[in-house]
Amino acid sequence: MSSDQDKLIAESVEKALQGDMDAINNIEDRVTRSKAKAALVKAKREAKAAVAEETPRAEKSKAEEAPQAEQTFAAQVAVALEKKFPGSLDTEDVNGHIQMKGEQWYEAAQYLRDNPDFLFDSLQCVTGYDYGTSEDLEVRYNLHSMTHHHAIEIRIKIDRNDSKIPSVEQVWRIGDWFERETYDMYGIEFVGHSNMTRILCPEDWAGWPLRKDYETQEMYHGIVVPKVKDGWE
Amino acid sequence: MGVLENRFQDNVVVASMDKLLGWARSTSPWFFQFGLACCAIEMMATAASRYDLMRIGMIPRSSPRQADVMIVAGTVTMKMSLRVKKLYEQMADPKYVIAMGSCATSGGPYWQYGYHVLKGVDLVVPVDVYIPGCPPRPEALIEGLLKLQEKIQAERPLTKKIA
Repeated sequence: MSSDQDKLIAESVEKALQGDMDAINNIEDRVTRSKAKAALVKAKREAKAAVAEETPRAEKSKAEEAPQAEQTFAAQVAVALEKKFPGSLDTEDVNGHIQMKGEQWYEAAQYLRDNPDFLFDSLQCVTGYDYGTSEDLEVRYNLHSMTHHHAIEIRIKIDRNDSKIPSVEQVWRIGDWFERETYDMYGIEFVGHSNMTRILCPEDWAGWPLRKDYETQEMYHGIVVPKVKDGWE
Repeated sequence: MGVLENRFQDNVVVASMDKLLGWARSTSPWFFQFGLACCAIEMMATAASRYDLMRIGMIPRSSPRQADVMIVAGTVTMKMSLRVKKLYEQMADPKYVIAMGSCATSGGPYWQYGYHVLKGVDLVVPVDVYIPGCPPRPEALIEGLLKLQEKIQAERPLTKKIA
């Protein structure tokens, strides 16, 4: 194959890729023309593969960036809390939520609500959590800011046998019923709450139903609670 | 009244007092209106115009003092069970109880693991008619009410009981 032919093919393929198919169709020699067409197909396929390879890489890099940004926000809050209330964090390891200690929680809650950088004006949920018979109990608070549209989860571990934690009822008024429900189900006492009584179960119910070691009482005001099933099934 | 009007002298109906009382009671069993869970929706539908409980003489009453029948429509929790008992005690005799749906009958889906649910309302008050279903359709509730009417009609409240 002569170098002239190669040059011709390369030129015409270049032109064809830019949309000028006549550059190939006008080649006089049949063999050269078919060679040029084959080269064009090859060039097109390579271009497509290069594009396909490039796109997922771009997406991947975006996906990698996103959780990092989220992490930075949680870490940002954690750093601010640690700076304002030294020793208030249970662990430095921030993984989407902040693990705190209970002692300074009331002050920290006020700080989180009022600090212009965070403005967590909405307490969205308070959840109790039982890790199992030998482990601790935990309270989780989900905070959200209506101004900044950001959210954070605070977790506080407490001892199963001395389950006390400062109440944030005075910080977020919605905390009133949330905390009463958590108290009702887990027996976690929110110190400073204005009306720390059961909300769903009867006032004289015994035990904390959602704890893992809960056992239903046999009788309630002379009524059998678990029905005697002998002779029934 | 066309065929009967102005055709008789002074007239007398002969019937036994027991039957007359039974007839009067069974055709106007006013029911106590309180719903506890989803069964209450079916009870409301039954009382409304499509199924029309009024045609068998049933009117919802808001006070236990005025009611003859208590329809326990729904899940009875342990907390509520004491209230149900108190309401039953406030009703005037003769009084009847209908356990509507599986929850009121036996605890329903909370039979095994529901720590807070009463396993059948018959643990606190005597039940006359049980209606199965979750929840029972209005037809089923009406069937139960007709059964209750039969039961009331068969009573002999004045007759001396022979031991």
